[in-house]
Amino acid sequence: MSEELDIGLGVVDHQLLDSDGRRCGNVDDLAIEGEPGKQAEVVAILSGPGVWRERAGLLGRLAAWIGGGRRVRIPWDEVAGIESHVRLKKKATEYGLGRGDDRARPWIAWIPGSHR
Amino acid sequence: MKIFQVALGILAAIGGFVDIGDLVFNSAAGATFGYQLLWVVVIGVIGIIVYSEMCGRIAAISKKAVFDVVRERVGFKAGLVTLIAAQVVNLMTLAAEVGGVAICLRLLSGLPYRWLILVAVFGLGAVVWITSFDWIERIFGYGGLCMLVFAVAAIKLKPDWGAVAHGFVPHLETKDTLLYFYFAVGLLGAAMTPYEVYFYSSGGIEEEWTEKDLGLNRANAIIGYGLGGFLSFALMIVGGALFLPHGIGPETLGSISLGAQVPLGEIGLLLALIGILFAVGGASIDTLFSGAYNFAQFFGWEWGRYRSPAGAPRFTLGWMVLLVLALGIVMTGVDPVQLTEYAVIFSVVALPLTYLPILLVANDRAYMGRYVNGRLANVLGGIYLVVILAVSLSAIPLMLLTNVGQG
Repeated sequence: MSEELDIGLGVVDHQLLDSDGRRCGNVDDLAIEGEPGKQAEVVAILSGPGVWRERAGLLGRLAAWIGGGRRVRIPWDEVAGIESHVRLKKKATEYGLGRGDDRARPWIAWIPGSHR
Repeated sequence: MKIFQVALGILAAIGGFVDIGDLVFNSAAGATFGYQLLWVVVIGVIGIIVYSEMCGRIAAISKKAVFDVVRERVGFKAGLVTLIAAQVVNLMTLAAEVGGVAICLRLLSGLPYRWLILVAVFGLGAVVWITSFDWIERIFGYGGLCMLVFAVAAIKLKPDWGAVAHGFVPHLETKDTLLYFYFAVGLLGAAMTPYEVYFYSSGGIEEEWTEKDLGLNRANAIIGYGLGGFLSFALMIVGGALFLPHGIGPETLGSISLGAQVPLGEIGLLLALIGILFAVGGASIDTLFSGAYNFAQFFGWEWGRYRSPAGAPRFTLGWMVLLVLALGIVMTGVDPVQLTEYAVIFSVVALPLTYLPILLVANDRAYMGRYVNGRLANVLGGIYLVVILAVSLSAIPLMLLTNVGQG
């Protein structure tokens, strides 16, 4: 019970960092698998606006709709470490994370001085 | 080198603390109740010191800013509600500060107000785009120091120092109790505006604070906000010594700057206007960044001025959109001073949801290790949470009952 609580407080809603230290979303939920009589196991991290729909009622659905409704599933094996943030083993793009920033970049990059 | 760093923090705190809300509420409180409400400023300043120190420490140790902490501790749903409330107040405050910058520019140049709103918005956008975080702090901090002219003015006006000293002792000597409490709530709200902790904690991460900077954090919070409080006293004393006897209601930034012009002449007016310009300009940038920080931290985007604008694109787009929205609001012709009053009162309602997670995390060893709150921080943090809760429950009723302080 205490370990489940730790995961709830220490992982869910925490920042995801990729292998380069890039901020690439949050742990919006966890996928947990188990059978009656066996120990439940966290199998994946769920991230993205599609997950918000189930977490905050009408407001969550509205936020998910504005955010585009995508959800990304990252296998738990891909977690490199959990400190104050949750670090992943590979680059964000390999998981399909950080796409919002990548799509917004061209809107900013044309302005002189945007890479300073 | 350390002293230089502390000095920077102090300058930043002066520029960030004394914003348009403090100018309006402190001057108006002095003009209405003389020195009677000075004690409330003391309470507000201690409150912002306690919580800024706490969230600076959280940033240094756990590398988390306020909206990381809000989401982790209250969850997605309550966090989203807090985010929306915080962003509405942030936008109102930003619009009020931008309007304040335009008013100062009009008083200095005599050019038309609406053109100067555009100048203010493009000027602020350019400063944020071109200048590094350190230099933004320096420019607005040093400029904001001109506000010290109000301290000189307060002395020159020869107030009744006995009455001033009495003002630091909580007391009630008016029949208009509701208005008195409306101003008390407004002064607390102006001193503890939530954007200050959003900006302060994110600034700690921008400056890459570590546990070695905890002393710097404490010095910044105590001396910086202490000096901000000192300026608030000066504004209220000027209000009590000059505006109250003459029946002047300082309803515009122009009339607030009269407080320095009457005792000190044209040079007093000029320094007051330059000081207000930089203080309000600094506060515009604080609120602008706070809005972008909050979105990015809550949704997990890349953020920070220590990244290039293209390195944190949604953060950059965030502050750009907020600046355009603020431009739209000010262009409607809404009075920035009135907008400020609403923003300060509504911000009081958002305060508990901001400050509770900070207190919880500052006590959590999983985040803070041996740097959890000591007894003093916890006692003060707990007391202030109760005060904030009481104030937030009474803010809107008091605003309605006093007709937004018009009596």
